[in-house]
Amino acid sequence: MADYAHPEVLVSTDWAADHLDDSDDVRFVEANEDVLLYKTGHLPGAVNVDWVQDLQDDTVRDFIGPDEFAALCSRLGIAPDTKVVFYGDKNNWWACYAFWVFKLYGHADCAVMDGGRKKWENEGRAFTTDVPDYPETDYPVPSGADGSIRAFRQDVETHQKNGGPMVDVRSPEEFKGEITHIPGLPEESSMRPGHIPGARNVPWASAANDEDGTFKPREELAEIYEQTEGLDPTEDTIAYCRIGERSSHTWFVLTYLLGFDNVKNYDGSWTEWGNLVAAPIETGEAGS
Amino acid sequence: MRSIDEIAEPFQMMEPDMRLELLLEYAAELPPLPERYVEMRDAGLNMVHECQSPVFLMPEVEHDNGAAQVRVYGDVPESAPTARAFTAILHEAFDGATPADVRAAPDDLLNRLGLDGLLGMQRTQGLSAIYQRLKAEVNRKAQTSSEGESAS
Repeated sequence: MADYAHPEVLVSTDWAADHLDDSDDVRFVEANEDVLLYKTGHLPGAVNVDWVQDLQDDTVRDFIGPDEFAALCSRLGIAPDTKVVFYGDKNNWWACYAFWVFKLYGHADCAVMDGGRKKWENEGRAFTTDVPDYPETDYPVPSGADGSIRAFRQDVETHQKNGGPMVDVRSPEEFKGEITHIPGLPEESSMRPGHIPGARNVPWASAANDEDGTFKPREELAEIYEQTEGLDPTEDTIAYCRIGERSSHTWFVLTYLLGFDNVKNYDGSWTEWGNLVAAPIETGEAGS
Repeated sequence: MRSIDEIAEPFQMMEPDMRLELLLEYAAELPPLPERYVEMRDAGLNMVHECQSPVFLMPEVEHDNGAAQVRVYGDVPESAPTARAFTAILHEAFDGATPADVRAAPDDLLNRLGLDGLLGMQRTQGLSAIYQRLKAEVNRKAQTSSEGESAS
């Protein structure tokens, strides 16, 4: 881990095992794609944050506001100086998403447990179904969200017109526009298949090792994003996917593991751009 | 086997957290995959690709004294309990049904079970795909097997 640009945002499963009882200073937060998984067993002492039930507000199609964020942290016994360690299923995909939301509201000490549930399970470590109950804190309401890590569609429009670098982290089929509409699909789907002109395509899971869900070493990540796709750590870069969840994983990789100066996650992503009036799209391979 | 309405009733009456508990019970009840399909599953065939997890679904239409009967065979890893629970619900609702029952089953099944509000629209996409796969496969196999016969 030491080779990464900001190694302090990763902890190992060994570190986690040594700090399970350290609940005064550390809070383990499980964040999963699957809403039931936490209930089947989780790290001893870990709390659950569900991206649909806890982090989103459907009435405004946005993340929870500052008041709700403070209430969430208070309920989970998280104080401003608590080290919050995220982990979860699917190569820590949702863990990175929750990490991103916590950073949006400026929580200082956030980390991801490298490998997530998969590595913890592979190593035969303990899971429990006991749900902990921590004394409530009085988390101060943040003044607002940190716009430096989030792109709205106006930002993307300007960025795209200026030829700024973008990384589309969906599957090649989604990127090329081969997947369109699935019969019987709910309203999430986009009307038009394809990608934002100028985007490179690096599926999000390219950054993780299949066998244990850990992040690839820095030199392999640099090979993928910088050498092969030509992304430049000094240039402002935007990551997007379908609803902004997979791209928060790539945002994490570019920002903290490769040390890119300025990466924004476009959480409106393809469900917004693919349906926007007067927004250009492209199909097929990425342009050169 | 229970009807969709019978399965849906407790879901509609319960608080969200209890609905999750009920789903967990279903996840534990998915019957093991018959041995003859294991090789097919391990080869990655008949997977529902829209799902984020490896969901294997193999609906069959079998004939018992000339009467067509739907069988729902599926397998989902324990690391994906929601998809596993939903597959178990489909098994409960349609294993032993007629192809006509499956054809007539409502398109808004997730809504009737109260799952769309509980899971959020992003998460129900894979489940919809499992259900659509069941309906499409049963339809296709019922047609293939009843060539020349009148529709049931």
